[in-house]
Order: sequence, then structure tokens, then C-alpha cells
Amino acid sequence: MTGRTIVITSGKGGVGKTTATANIGTGLAMRGHKVVVVDTDIGLRNLDVIMGLENRIVYDLVNVIEGTCKLSQAMIGDKHDYELFLIPAAQTRDKNSIGPEQLREMCAELEKEFDYVLIDCPAGIEQGFKNATAAAQEAIIVTTPEVSAIRDADRVIGLLESSGLHRPKLIINRIAHEMVKRGDMMDQKDVESLLAIEVIGLVPADEHTVVAANRGIPVVHNPKSSAGSAFLRIAARVDGEDIPLMDLEPKTGLFSKFKGMVGMNGRAYSHA
Amino acid sequence: MVATGTTTGVTTGVVQVIARGTDVAFVIDENAPFDVVAAELREHLTKKSGLWSKGDITINVGQRMLARDELAQVKSIIETNSGLTVTRFWFAPDSLGTGDLRVEAKSAANSSPPQSAPQPAAHNEIVLPDGQPDATAEPISAVASIIEGLKTKHNRNGARNRNITEALFIKSTFRSGETLQHHGDVVVLADVNPGAEIRADGDIVVLGSLKGWVHAGASGDNKAVIIALELPSSRFQIGKYEGVAPSSSRHKSKSSASGPQIAYVRTRSIHVAPFAGRFARYNKGVPYDG
Repeated sequence: MTGRTIVITSGKGGVGKTTATANIGTGLAMRGHKVVVVDTDIGLRNLDVIMGLENRIVYDLVNVIEGTCKLSQAMIGDKHDYELFLIPAAQTRDKNSIGPEQLREMCAELEKEFDYVLIDCPAGIEQGFKNATAAAQEAIIVTTPEVSAIRDADRVIGLLESSGLHRPKLIINRIAHEMVKRGDMMDQKDVESLLAIEVIGLVPADEHTVVAANRGIPVVHNPKSSAGSAFLRIAARVDGEDIPLMDLEPKTGLFSKFKGMVGMNGRAYSHA
Repeated sequence: MVATGTTTGVTTGVVQVIARGTDVAFVIDENAPFDVVAAELREHLTKKSGLWSKGDITINVGQRMLARDELAQVKSIIETNSGLTVTRFWFAPDSLGTGDLRVEAKSAANSSPPQSAPQPAAHNEIVLPDGQPDATAEPISAVASIIEGLKTKHNRNGARNRNITEALFIKSTFRSGETLQHHGDVVVLADVNPGAEIRADGDIVVLGSLKGWVHAGASGDNKAVIIALELPSSRFQIGKYEGVAPSSSRHKSKSSASGPQIAYVRTRSIHVAPFAGRFARYNKGVPYDG
């Protein structure tokens, strides 16, 4: 089996790389794939917390690379009934404790066994970024509709292309529909025209994402939430399914229309 | 051509050998002069000759513009120094702006790995004539003639007669952090994003939105111009003059009017006007003097 190694990166910190990694990984596992997610943010590990696997860590990425443990010993199985594994980052070391070649070798090993190897890349474009991107054949860029995040994403796309990682895909995270409607936030088209790469997903700003992260259960487990369903669709697209991008406007169902009518009626009544 | 993904990156500065799974890519510093590149490429091929098993490879020349006979010479360098057979040359628009000369190789045994190395969708393929085009040439003389070819090109680029300057075409978005210096005109068939820098001895034409910093006539030609479909960039340079977009809103709205714009030097300052042809008379431009 030859799996696909995909790096999830952004340049800027705090745009949702780790959340995206956890959710796409879980989403792919929910689709029946064998998935391993690798946290390369050595020194600032988060992915284990988001996935709720913090308490199970015995060995980490640096242990594997230094040969203190076997690859299989560092892999933590997900709490749910999927074939989803996590290789956590070391918390007590730094980015320079591993090199790009070592990570590349490890991922080549993982590709033999897994359908998907997802690498959670640290913020920045220094050693950690170089390590994380060296091992991957594909890249997903996460950005938010903010100028600073987009500037960094632009830089990262340039760096990826110059290192031979072509055609990265884009996730626009935390889109606040109300703000877009008011003209206070860039919309998908603005971001897309600036970065000029294929958009693979639009994730709305959704409280459920934060709640899910705090509970250690990725939001894809809640497909009814807008962010959860968005990440499920992204996982399907990564998997090769052709799903059109959804308009993020909240659906105006029958009930809300009815409420609107009642509201209007009420006001009309009070004026009478 | 390399069976395992365990090959480590060999870095000598100019030529970087990157192994991704079964694929090997040569990434070459785009600012390196071609003679250095050719010498390093040849050195890599001979030094690691054990790695290159027999097989067909495709060469992606990326951004560097090579004449047909130069392509034939590159083919002969590679074939003389390894057991590889060059089957095709690609000019992939995707890889433009990323590296000068790129050699992508696949082993014959794993001729089509399923997902690794995304295949560019649109290329301009050049099919070489059958047979060894330069079979008699020694590899060293092949390198030497490439150097000669490039030298004459550079002389032409440096010449004052700008009408015969070769333009450099960039076909992909020019991104933040990317820089380019060219001894001639530069044409970008995409956007120049904020944080990107282009210095050209000739004109700069952007068939997209120019948001980065550019310097036309960088070797001192004040007659150079900057033309862009959209010109939101508020800072650029022509020859020795620096342009800064006016801060007053009246001027701003005028200068950022839709449609292509041209920036030129007039009475010792940069002006911007709606583009009306290269040789039109421009006298109503907005001064870009801050």
C-alpha cells in the first residue's frame, strides 16, 4: 500500500492548522481509511489535546526518530472505533531535534501501512516548517479571511512551490457569514483571487469547534454542526470525491421563515 | 530511479537533489549563472552515478528559456553522464517562477506511481528530433557551448537597444517573498502579490494586479514604464525615481480607476495614467510623489 502524505500548513499561527488536521484525519478515518496524524510542532504540542489523547502519551516523535522506541509504540490509537492513530510531538525538545530526512524516512515507513499520513506543521517558515514539508507529497494551506493570514499563506505557497510541492489546496477557516454580508470580512472570492490556488474547503466560524476542541472530540463527530459538516466535506474532497463548495449562508428553513412572518405580524399588530 | 525514499537531500548550494518517494527532483537555484548550474549538474550525475539506474526521464525546464539546440545539449549531458534516456521536455506553467532548470525523473520499474508527484495538467511539450542530436560532442564541450549561448544572450539583454531585449515571462502568481532580477523586460501573466519584488532593466508588464514592489529600468533607464491591468501598489520605482501613491483621496480614486494603468517618468517624477497604448502621449497622469 502506498499512502498519501499531506502536510497541513499556514505560515501564520492560530488559524486552525491543528484543528484542521484533527478533523480531516478523523473525517478520513470515518470514511473507512487507515489514517495516522503526526504532530511536528515539537515543543508546543497541541494535536493530542484536540484529539483528547493527552493522557495516553508514552513515547513521541523524537523518541521514534532517535530510536528510543519503535514506530508502533509511539502510535496512539483514537478513542473511537476508527483506524486513526496519532504520533505526538515531544514537548520537552525543540524543532532542531529532528531533521527533514529523518521525518521523510519515517513517513515513507508510515505510507506503507496507512492510506493517509497527515502532518500537522508548526507555524512559521523555519526548521519546523522545513521538517514538516519535506516529508509530504501534497499540501493543504489553512488561512482565515484576514490580511495577515493571507499574506503568510501567500509566502508559504511560494516556498512550497520552490521546494517542489506544487498545487497546494486551500482551506478558508473561520468565515463569519454575517461579517461577510456586511462587507466587513473578505469573502471566498477575494481570498481565492489573491492566493490563486484551488479552494478545497470553506469552514464557517462555529462555536462548536471551540467546544469540541476543549472536550477533545473533533467537531466532525458532530456532523450537524456547520463546522463539522464542512470538515466532513473537506475529508471527502481530499479523498477524491467531487463535492461542490457550499454556500456558507445559514439555511433559512421553513421554521425561521415562519418566525419572521410572526415577527412582522406582531409588529404590524402593535402599530395598529 | 532511486528505489527507496530514504535518499537524503544532497545540498551543494546551487543544485539540490530532492527525493520524494520514488521520484527525484533536481531543484536549481534560479539566480545561479547557467555555467555553474551546468557544471554542478554534470558533477552530480557523475558523482552519484551509482544512483542513476537505467530508465526514461522527463525534464522539466521550468522558467529558464532554452533554445532547441540547448535542450538537445542538456539531453546529451544527462545521457552521457548517466544511464538515463531523456524522453521528453516539459515547460510546465505550474513550475514557472520556482526554479531555473528542473529535472524530474521516474524509475522505469515504477513508471507510474499513483499519487506521488502531481502531474502538471498543461504543458508546452517540446519533442526533440529522433536520434542523438549532439552525439559527437563531448559533455564538456556541450557545457561550454551552453555557456557561450547564454553569454551572448546576456550581452544582448544588457544592450541599450531595448527593442531586441528578450522578455522574461512569468506565468504563475508572483508571491510574497519571491524576488526576481532580469536584464530585460518582464511580463507577468498573473498577479504580483504584496511582499514580492521584481527588478527589471527594461519595462515591467503585469497582466494582473500589481500589488508588490517593482523597479523598472533598474539599471538606470528612466524611460522604462510599468504597465498593469490593476495598479493598487502604492510604491514602485522607475530608473532613479521613486513613486509613492498620493495620499489624498481625490487623486487616489482617479488613479485607481478601473482599467489598465501605466506608470512613467515625466518632469523628474513618476506619473500614473490610464493606459492608452505604449506610444500614446501621456500628459494627464497623476503624480506619484507622496
